[in-house]
Amino acid sequence: MSGHLLTVTELTVTRPGAKRPELDRLSLAVDAGETLVILGEAGCGKEALMRVLAGAAERDEIVDGTLQFGDASPERAVKFPKPAIRMSYLPGPFEQPLNRHVSALSQLTRIVARKLDAPRASAQEELGLALGRLSGAPKLIDLDKPPAELSPEMQAWGLFAAAYAQNPELLLADHALAGLAPGHARALTRALLAEQARLGFAILYAAMNAETPVWLKGRLIVMRHGKVVEEGPAERLATSQAHSYTQTLFKAQPAPLSDKPQPRASTRGQPVIQAYRIEMAKPSPRRARDDLTFELRRGASLALIGDEGSGRHTLARILLGLDRAPSGRVVFDAVDIGVLANNMMARLRRRVAFVAGADDMLDPRMTIWDTVAEPLRTHLDLPRHVVASYRDVALKRVGLASLPGNRVVASLSAFDKRRLQVARAIVSAPVLAVIDEPLRGLDAFAQAVMRDLLKNFRTQEGPAFLVITSDITVALALAEDAMIMKDSRVIERGPLADILRAPKTVYTASLIEASAPVKNSTLSPAAPGS
Amino acid sequence: MSVVSAHEAPAPAITLGGVIRAVGFIGLGAIGVTVGLSEVLARAPADTIDFGPPLIAPSIHFPLGTDVLGRDMLSETLHALAVTVTNAGLAAIVVVVAGGLAGFIAARLPYRIGFVLRGIAGILGAIPALLLAILFIGLASRGLAPLAAGLAVAPLGFTRAFDRARALGQSRHAEFARATGISPGALLRRDLTYEFRDSFLSIAARALAAVTIVLSTVSFLGYGATPPHRDLGLMIAAARDVYFDAWWTAAVPAAALALFILCARLAAGLDEGERA
Repeated sequence: MSGHLLTVTELTVTRPGAKRPELDRLSLAVDAGETLVILGEAGCGKEALMRVLAGAAERDEIVDGTLQFGDASPERAVKFPKPAIRMSYLPGPFEQPLNRHVSALSQLTRIVARKLDAPRASAQEELGLALGRLSGAPKLIDLDKPPAELSPEMQAWGLFAAAYAQNPELLLADHALAGLAPGHARALTRALLAEQARLGFAILYAAMNAETPVWLKGRLIVMRHGKVVEEGPAERLATSQAHSYTQTLFKAQPAPLSDKPQPRASTRGQPVIQAYRIEMAKPSPRRARDDLTFELRRGASLALIGDEGSGRHTLARILLGLDRAPSGRVVFDAVDIGVLANNMMARLRRRVAFVAGADDMLDPRMTIWDTVAEPLRTHLDLPRHVVASYRDVALKRVGLASLPGNRVVASLSAFDKRRLQVARAIVSAPVLAVIDEPLRGLDAFAQAVMRDLLKNFRTQEGPAFLVITSDITVALALAEDAMIMKDSRVIERGPLADILRAPKTVYTASLIEASAPVKNSTLSPAAPGS
Repeated sequence: MSVVSAHEAPAPAITLGGVIRAVGFIGLGAIGVTVGLSEVLARAPADTIDFGPPLIAPSIHFPLGTDVLGRDMLSETLHALAVTVTNAGLAAIVVVVAGGLAGFIAARLPYRIGFVLRGIAGILGAIPALLLAILFIGLASRGLAPLAAGLAVAPLGFTRAFDRARALGQSRHAEFARATGISPGALLRRDLTYEFRDSFLSIAARALAAVTIVLSTVSFLGYGATPPHRDLGLMIAAARDVYFDAWWTAAVPAAALALFILCARLAAGLDEGERA
């Protein structure tokens, strides 16, 4: 008997034809009630470990090594292990673990019922109880919608509750907080710590950013190329790292928010967007008139900051003429878009570029070359060799020049797709770039590279930036001015540095607190149901 | 130390579906070569009566036997296969153009016009393709049987392409493209390029199987090919009276027909689609 809850010995996962194993003779042990975080960039091996433990190894993966669950005897690792302990798997909502068109509540209930071997009604009751214990969680009935109609944060609450309802001994959290708005991520972490204290389960968490292990504390294993490069208590490794890779990983985190941020000036040109008294919601007797007037000039950057559903996207769609505001006027590049026909509006939008944190923004059938060259070929009458040279320069700037140009988008990683969006934006020579949660779902390295690429794009091409984010650190990296949005209203606006220095509303203060990275992060478990 | 992980290209996966398609295309290629060499391989010109004694069973002298008029079954089957494959090829082109291509374009027309066309295609698709083909042949002429068969099978291809094009048009990447000023025409070009470049052969193979069944049945019923340009359906029909005494007279053309349809279905990846 090992005395551990889980013992992994010499676990190796390989794929035929791959240059190196995904997981290279990994050995680790997890004790009851312990928190073990595995940290590394995408493809470091943590995903393969999670797949094997969750019984979801891919068809072409070859698994070798030994697994021991609790007091059961060690067994040779197989693709579909049968754990002798109660284990629940907790994926992140951006992995789309639920069928997008069937009620999330129904799916979560079915999962809990199957795991507890209980009738659906009892399982739903358990799920409701678990959800009720989580501070800040939505109501059970709110989850009775298809995931396509729920925000990722709502789905995350449901997934977390379903995991707790299974009363696990070991919780396999597979990037469960990745990409979530910082405020929700922290609330979910607090709830996780509270439930761990109550139920006493162990957590094995796969993370790609250094923030999570610091929040969760416990033990940290840093992995690279399928091997462990450093191990130790998370709190110690957060401040002193021995291995150069771990140092780079922690350095890639955004800089801590300064207590006294200084306003930054930027060169500003002609107005790109001028909004006059626009309203996002129809006026009603119950709601006070709340219109918005502002302008965004070329070279300037404005961040729309708020949680999912705060009205950021509604405002952006109005500004781009994709939707019409109930009242008010938007002038885009000196043209009143309210009077333009659809085809003229489409022409005007040629000068807009998007970089968004969703991987389905690019046509998965297109090749790398076609994706970048399309705006040039469609909007301009340029000779092929000129198009090719612009395309190659853009791909070189984002670091994708080494990939074969005929590779299709569907075969690219999330990070490559994100960089490809930047390359496409570069060749468009836009006057306005809409940057929508650009770092969502990326590991720390990829986030650092994306931040630099976007800054470089802004400096060299000089478009106006409209940054949509819930993360103040992202806004701080890419914008000087900000509007804080809540319930389809702008509740605070001005230079971002001023807002950070002296937030005027509780909501703004909570957003700033939620986005404060590693240095300031000390989370305590949430009081149940508070 | 590189801070960005290298993103390796995934090794091309060999799938069962891919193998099935490859087998189908190899089979179609072999049939194409046989058809191309049919004049050389056949020992007698088409419809040569009294080439040998009537109703001789397969033997060394007549590998596939002879029919009731003493025609060499091997030569006749090769000639008929050439006629069937040629007509089916023409009809498949009609299906690809009037079905797939038209469906894609119709989906991008103004909403109401597109849905009226989709409704008409849906109604036509609900009628058995064979009956539609007979109707079209009656309205036109026997010589236009390939066109009639193609138009009869096209409605299902049309609805399939229409629905696919609608789904593509509503996808996130299409919305993203429109938001950056990519015109509807450019989006249509993009969809046609990728859908037809990547799956043109599959669409054509699916259509080929369907129209071959329709054309052969039409000929079997006497509304299609006429001598001396007999196709496989007409050969099977000609064997009706002697089939129970001389099985090879119908079994040989039927086997050739089955092989051709099977290869087309395999090349389409056993995909249910435009079915006769």
